[in-house]
Amino acid sequence: MRTLLMTVLTLFSLTALTCRAEVVVVLNSGEGTITRIDRQSYQPIDHFYVGREPHHLMSLPDNSALIVANAVSNDLVFLDPKTGDILRRLPRISDPYQIGFSPDKRWFVANSLRLDRVDVYDARDFHLVKRFELASMPSHMAFSPDSSTVFVTLQGSDQLAAIDLLTRAVKWVIPIGKTPAGVILTPDGKHLLVGVMGLNEVAVVDYKTAQIIKHIPAGKGTHNFMPEGDGRHIFVGNRSGDTVSIIDTQTLTITKTFPVPGGPDDMEVSADGKELWITNRWIRQVSVVDLSTDKVVRTIPVGKSPHGIFFEHHAARQ
Amino acid sequence: MTWFETFMNGFTLTQAWIFEHCVNPLLPPLGLLAYQEEAFDATEFALVGMGEVALLILIFRPLEALFPAERWSGRRGVRVDILYTLLHRLGFIPLVMFVLMWPLTFKLDAWLRFHGFIPYTLEDLIPPLENRPLPTFIAYLVIIDFFSYWLHRFQHRLEWWWALHGVHHSQQTMSYWSDDRTHLLDDVLTATFFSLLSLAIGVEPGQFILLMMIPRILQSLAHANIDWRFGPFEGCLVSPHYHRYHHGIGTGSESGQSSCNFAVLFPIWDILFGTANFSKETPPTGIADQQEGRDYGSGFWAQQRLGCQRLWRALTLGKA
Repeated sequence: MRTLLMTVLTLFSLTALTCRAEVVVVLNSGEGTITRIDRQSYQPIDHFYVGREPHHLMSLPDNSALIVANAVSNDLVFLDPKTGDILRRLPRISDPYQIGFSPDKRWFVANSLRLDRVDVYDARDFHLVKRFELASMPSHMAFSPDSSTVFVTLQGSDQLAAIDLLTRAVKWVIPIGKTPAGVILTPDGKHLLVGVMGLNEVAVVDYKTAQIIKHIPAGKGTHNFMPEGDGRHIFVGNRSGDTVSIIDTQTLTITKTFPVPGGPDDMEVSADGKELWITNRWIRQVSVVDLSTDKVVRTIPVGKSPHGIFFEHHAARQ
Repeated sequence: MTWFETFMNGFTLTQAWIFEHCVNPLLPPLGLLAYQEEAFDATEFALVGMGEVALLILIFRPLEALFPAERWSGRRGVRVDILYTLLHRLGFIPLVMFVLMWPLTFKLDAWLRFHGFIPYTLEDLIPPLENRPLPTFIAYLVIIDFFSYWLHRFQHRLEWWWALHGVHHSQQTMSYWSDDRTHLLDDVLTATFFSLLSLAIGVEPGQFILLMMIPRILQSLAHANIDWRFGPFEGCLVSPHYHRYHHGIGTGSESGQSSCNFAVLFPIWDILFGTANFSKETPPTGIADQQEGRDYGSGFWAQQRLGCQRLWRALTLGKA
C-alpha cells in the first residue's frame, strides 16, 4: 500500500513538473523545422518538420494554439506548443511571411515579403478581406493602439506604409531610410520605432503626422525589436554587427549595447525578465543572455537559419 | 557528438565566417542589403559547390586514370570545361539566371496570387507527401528528371536549340568536368523552363543541401571518362557508358530524331519512350561535322560566339 502511494505521489510530482515545464518554440526557416526547447534545462525536447520556410509565429488571440506561418508552403499551421502536436493546417494562405493580429483581434495581417503584398484577413475565419500590392518587400508590421492602422516596413523600397484597416486603403507611404526591417510601437503608444538596417539606426516616427522626428544611431544592420517588458525599454538587434542594444523609449536613446554572435534576429524575454533569448540566424543557434550581466551565458544548437522564437510565458510585449 | 554533427558544425561556422566577413560587408555599398538572406544562401551554395568540386577531383580524377573509356594524349581540351564547372557550381551562372528569372518566378507568381491563384506545390497535389520532406524531395527528383528528359529531347529535336546545345556535345575529350559545358542561352532556356515548372509544382525542399549534391555528382559521373557500366542496374541509373553513347559521334550526338539515351539520371524514361540504347560500343565523342573541320571553338567566348552564329543560321536558314 505504501509502495503504491509512493508511486502515485511520484507520478503526480512528475506530471506536475512536466506541466510546469516551460516550452520554447524555435522556427528553423532554412530547413522547415521546429525545435522545441525546455526553458528550464535548456535542452531540446524535439525537432520536427512543419513546412517550407517557416519564418514567424504567434499565439492565437485566445492562446488556444500557436500559428506557424510557412511562407513557401502557403499555409498556416496551428500547433500545440506544449505537446508539439499539429492541430490543423490552413492551406491556400498565400506566402505568409510576417503575421500579426490587430489589438482588437479583428484582423489578421500577413506580409508577403517575396511577392510585394500585404493581405488582410478576417481574424475570425481567416477569410481574405483585402489584398494590397505594395512596392516592395513588405517586411515587419505594427498596429496602432486603436487597431485602425497597420504599419508595414517596405524593405526593398526603403519606405514605411500605413494601411487603414477600416477603410481598407493605403493612408500614407513615407521614405524611411535604406532597408527598413523591424517596426514597433513605443509603450506610450505615441511613436513608432523602425530599424533601418542600411543606416544602422532606429528611426522614430510620429505616425499621426507621418514624420520622422528622430534618428537614433544603433549598431550595424539594425533589425528587429522586442520590449523588455518593463513598459520602458526595448531591445533592438543589430544583425550585421552581432550586437543587441537597449533603447530607453522615454529618452529615445540607446542605453546599452552588448555582443550576441551569429546574426541576432528574433527575440523573446522570459516572464521573470531575467533572460533574453535570441535566434542566431547564421550559426544555427539560439543565444541566452543573462539580463543581470548582459552576457550570453548559453548557446543552444537548433536547425538551419533559425528565425522566429516563442515563449509560452513571456514578458509583457509593451 | 557524431562525426556528421562535427562536420555540420564546422560547415556552419565556415559559412557564417565567410558570410559575415566577406559577403555581408559588400551588400550595403552595392545596395543589396535587402537581399541579405539570399546572400547568406548563396554563400552556402558556393561553399557546397567548392566541396563538390573537391570531391569530383578526389574521386573521379583517379577513376579516369584507372579505368579510362578513351585514352588521350593530353587533357588540354578539358581545361575550358573546368571553367564552365566553376562558373556553374560556385554559383556565378546560377546567380545571373536567378536575376534574369526574377520577373518570371516572382513577378508572375505575385501577379497570379494577386488575382487569386495560389500556385500548387507537389504536397498539395499529392497529399500523402505532406510533412514528409524526404519522400517529397525524392518525388521532386523523379519529376524533375522526367521533365529534364523531355527538355533534353527537344534540345536535340529542334534545330535552333541544337545550335546551342551543340556547345555541350562538341567536347571531344569528355570528362567529369563536361556536365556544365553549356551555351549561356541554353542555360536561359533551361532556367525559364524550370521556373515555369516551379510555378506549377513548387520547388523541391531546400533543406537537403548535401542531398542535392548527389544528383549533380551523378551527372558529373555520367560525363566522366570512365569505362563503367552498372551491370544489372544499367537500366536504373545513367552510367558513364550509357551517357557516353549519347555523346558518341554517329550514335547519339546528333540533331533531329536519330539521337538516343536522353535520360539525365534515370534511364527509365528512355526505356518508356523508346529512346534507350544499351549498346556496348564506346564511340568517340563529339559532333560528326567536327570531323569535316567545323569549328565549335576551343575557348569559352569562342564557343559562345559560334553558338550564337549557329543559332542565327538555324533561325534564318533552318539549319544550324
